[in-house]
Amino acid sequence: MRSSERQIFSFLKRYQIILVSAALALFSLHLALTDKKEYARGYLLKEILSYTVTPVQSAILGVQGSIKGVWTDYFYLVGVKDENEALKKTVYSLVEENRRLSEETKQNERLRALLEFKEALPYSTIGSAITGYSMERWSRTIVIDKGSSNGIEKDHGAIALTGVVGRVVEVNGASSRVLLTTDLRSNIDVIIERTRVKGVVEGNGTDGLVMKYVRQVDDVKPGDIVVTSGLSGVFPKGLAVGEVIRVEKSGDNFFKHIEVRPAVDLGRLEEVLVLKENSFHEK
Amino acid sequence: MKEFLLFLPLTIIYLALKSTLFASFPLPDIPLIMVFYLASRKASVEGALFAFVLGYLDDAFSGSVIGASSFALVLIYLGTHLMSMLVEFTTPTAKAGGAAAAALIKGAAVYYVLRYSNVDTYFLTHVVLQALVTGFFAPPVISALQWLTMLVTPRKFKDNES
Repeated sequence: MRSSERQIFSFLKRYQIILVSAALALFSLHLALTDKKEYARGYLLKEILSYTVTPVQSAILGVQGSIKGVWTDYFYLVGVKDENEALKKTVYSLVEENRRLSEETKQNERLRALLEFKEALPYSTIGSAITGYSMERWSRTIVIDKGSSNGIEKDHGAIALTGVVGRVVEVNGASSRVLLTTDLRSNIDVIIERTRVKGVVEGNGTDGLVMKYVRQVDDVKPGDIVVTSGLSGVFPKGLAVGEVIRVEKSGDNFFKHIEVRPAVDLGRLEEVLVLKENSFHEK
Repeated sequence: MKEFLLFLPLTIIYLALKSTLFASFPLPDIPLIMVFYLASRKASVEGALFAFVLGYLDDAFSGSVIGASSFALVLIYLGTHLMSMLVEFTTPTAKAGGAAAAALIKGAAVYYVLRYSNVDTYFLTHVVLQALVTGFFAPPVISALQWLTMLVTPRKFKDNES
C-alpha cells in the first residue's frame, strides 16, 4: 500500500464516526425536504409498521380499557370481609356486566348515528375506528384501521357526524394516517355559510383553526358557520368545518384575523367516515 | 451491538405507548436519552446508524415529516460525541443538563427543518417543556440503560496478573 493510500485510509478510519454521521444527517435532511411534498411514498418500513404497529396500538388501547375496568371495579373491592365474598363477587360481576353493557349501549348509539349519517350521505363512505393519535405541536394526526385493502386512497376526506375531521395523507395496507384539520399543515377551502365569503381554514397546531385571506371589507362575525366550498375536490360542498368565535383586524390591515372552533371535537373522536370518492369538483 | 438490539424494542414499545395511552402527556424523550447515552459513553458508526433508525421510527410513529427527527438525533449523536471529548457526562447534573440541552437542540433542529419544508410551525413552550422533562428524567433513565447494558454485556475478569 502506498503512503498516500495509507494516509487516506488512516483519515477515513480516524474520522469515520463524523463522516458517517454527516452522511446520515444529510440523508435525513433530504428525506425531510422531499417527504412533505409526497406523503404516500412507499417506504417498506411504513408498510411493515402498518401491519405491526397498528395491532400493537389497538391492543394497548384494549388493555388500557381492561386495566381501567379492573382498577376501578376489582381492586376497589379488595379487603372486604370474607362472609361477604360471594355477595361482593355477584355485585362485581353485575357491575362489570353493567359497565360493559353501558359501554356497548354508548357504542351502539354512536354507531347507529354514524350509520344513519352514512346512509343519508349522497356519496360512498367507509366507517373506520381510530387506533392511534399523535397530538404534538407540529403533528396532529390519527391512525385509522382501514387502508388500501379497503379502497382508501391518499387525499380521501375523513368526516364525522358534526363535520370535517381531516384528510388521508398516508395509506398502508391495513391502516391509514389522517391529517386533522387542526394540524399546522392542514388547509381547506371554505365559505361563510351566511354571507358566502370565501377563505382558507388552517390548523393552529393546538385545538383551534384560523380562517385566512378574508378581506377587512367582508362581512364575517362571531357565530357564523364555516362550511367547505368544494373547490379543493377533497370534500363535497357544504360540510361543516367550524364556527367563527373571534374576528379581529390583522397586523397588515388588509385581511381579517378569524379564529374558528372546529365543528368536530377531535379529542373525543372514536370513529370516522372516510369519503371514497376521488374528487368532489362540481361538474 | 447487543445493546442496540435491546434498546430497539424498548423504543418501539415507548413510541407505541406515546402514540396511544400517553398521547397528551409530556413524556421524556427516551430515544433522545438513548442517543445521548450511547454517544457520551462510547461512540461508534453503529451508534450513528442506530440514532438514524430511532429518529426514523420517531417520525413514523408520530406522523411528523419523515427525516426531521432522524436528522436531529444524528446531529445530537455527533454533537454529544464531540462534546464528550471535552466534558465528562458522569454526574447526574451533567447528564440532566446534557440531555436537556440535547432536547432543546433536537426541538430547534426539527423546528428549522419543518420551517425550511414550508410547514408553518411555532417554537413555543412545547419544546422547552419537553427539554425540561427530558433533562429531569435523564439521570434515572441513563442509570436504567446502564443496568440493561450490563445485563447483555459479558464481564471479563483478570484472573492472574503477573
